[in-house]
Amino acid sequence: MAGEAAITVDGLTKRYGAQAAVDDLSFEVRSGAVTGFLGPNGAGKTTTLRMVLGLARPSAGRALIFGQPYESLPDPAHTVGASLEVSGFHPGRSGRDHLRSLAVMAKLPRSRVEEVLDIVELRSAAGRRAGKYSMGMRQRLALAATLLGDPSVLVLDEPANGLDPQGIRWLRDFLRSKAGEGRTVLVSSHVLSEVAQTVDDVVVISRGRLSYQGSIGDFTRRAGGDLTRVRAAGVERLRPALEAAGATLREGGDHGALLVADLDAPAIGEIALREGVALQELTAHGASLEDVFLELTADPVEVAQP
Amino acid sequence: MTARIHGELIKLRTTRTALGFAGAGLLLVLATVLIGSLAGHPSTLQEKRGVINFGNVLSAVLLLFGVVGAAAEYRHRTLAPALLIAPNRGKLTFARMLAYAVAALGIGVLMLIVAFAIGIPLLSGENGPDLVGSDYARAAAGGLLACVLAAILGVGVGVLVRNQVAAVVGSLCWFFIVEPLIPLLSDDASKFTIGATAGNLGGQTTDNALAFLPDLLVLTGWAALFLVAGILVDRRRDVT
Repeated sequence: MAGEAAITVDGLTKRYGAQAAVDDLSFEVRSGAVTGFLGPNGAGKTTTLRMVLGLARPSAGRALIFGQPYESLPDPAHTVGASLEVSGFHPGRSGRDHLRSLAVMAKLPRSRVEEVLDIVELRSAAGRRAGKYSMGMRQRLALAATLLGDPSVLVLDEPANGLDPQGIRWLRDFLRSKAGEGRTVLVSSHVLSEVAQTVDDVVVISRGRLSYQGSIGDFTRRAGGDLTRVRAAGVERLRPALEAAGATLREGGDHGALLVADLDAPAIGEIALREGVALQELTAHGASLEDVFLELTADPVEVAQP
Repeated sequence: MTARIHGELIKLRTTRTALGFAGAGLLLVLATVLIGSLAGHPSTLQEKRGVINFGNVLSAVLLLFGVVGAAAEYRHRTLAPALLIAPNRGKLTFARMLAYAVAALGIGVLMLIVAFAIGIPLLSGENGPDLVGSDYARAAAGGLLACVLAAILGVGVGVLVRNQVAAVVGSLCWFFIVEPLIPLLSDDASKFTIGATAGNLGGQTTDNALAFLPDLLVLTGWAALFLVAGILVDRRRDVT
């Protein structure tokens, strides 16, 4: 199963009037992998996930789970567990009763409710009304609901929203444990750092369009790309010479430093010598994952898939 | 389908909504029976039938029960988790409708017991002709049918309108503003309104009211109309 597409999104489009919330989006989620579905707020992540789960009708394109639309899955509860938002509870109903109603619909035994309450460490509060739960407890209850049918695919929309650092650490451990069991996980987030340590693959979207799809390894290598940080007393004299040599320049932050792309360090050193500029720093500079993420989501461009 | 109905019944049992509407229904039925018999001094068959016709007031309460319960699925966004397990929207709405029908029947049976237990002894001391077995049978069967159909109609309205406040306010406006105006336009048309047919099912309320069977068919038609409209509209909606 590993490597096969668990989720296929093909030309998916969702328009609200003239506005395209999701625009011809295509990507695949590998079976058995944890995939981060990333993008800034309003990028179209939740709308995409709703279409994948059959809760919203695409204007065009299709979304398939193991080759079938969600509505056609023979046993959805045992195939996909999804949590789209933390407010999917009646505030007057206890967490346990919420899960019981879902378990009964999925033809699961009552004991399964207690099992998932134990997994998400919510059993002690399960008898309380969900309206009295903290944000972290609601997230755990939502996760418990996703686990009821022991599904092979988990779809989690912004599960870290509103969690404190302790809760985020718990969530990371949770995702890692699910990945360790060989499940497919698609987890959305608008904060890369929340999921960077957990995911195998990333799909980045911006303004409803695909910006990047690939492994987290490739993404990390892209982050650590060929930038050189240059600091010199007469750095302004270097600018035209570097540009003339084909370099791309960006401001490097403190002390008037430059970040130079498309030109390696020895070539920069030779140009500095030729221009009579004394270098104070000439170091490799890796952009952070967050820098790359921000760059990708600032201006959506179709990036060739690795 | 059984699993869906069972799940919907668990949802019904585990909030205070059903209890609240049962309480409101009890107060209204008690008021109808006590005021109708003690203050109204009923002396005609029609007046006496009105005292034990619990379905007349209870059907309105149970219609709102259906509206509030069905619209709450959208308000609290509890529809999505259920659809993820049971993705067929039409079947899920149908299961919800059946669950509310069962709950309405249960509440109706309790109110039937209350209305008969208090109303029959009080009516026995009043002047005029006594109610006979067929009057009690119509009050019981018609009242229970009115309760069930009203709850189904309410579910249809709640699914169709989705916004809980708009659905409740709209229903109240329909009952208390629009329907009372209909007799001013046409007496014949007024026999076919939701309020008239639901109230009349448990005991003839006016001289020109429909007979039992046509009345039952018209109220069933109202319930089916809203339920089918709700299901059809809901199938095309995006669920948040």
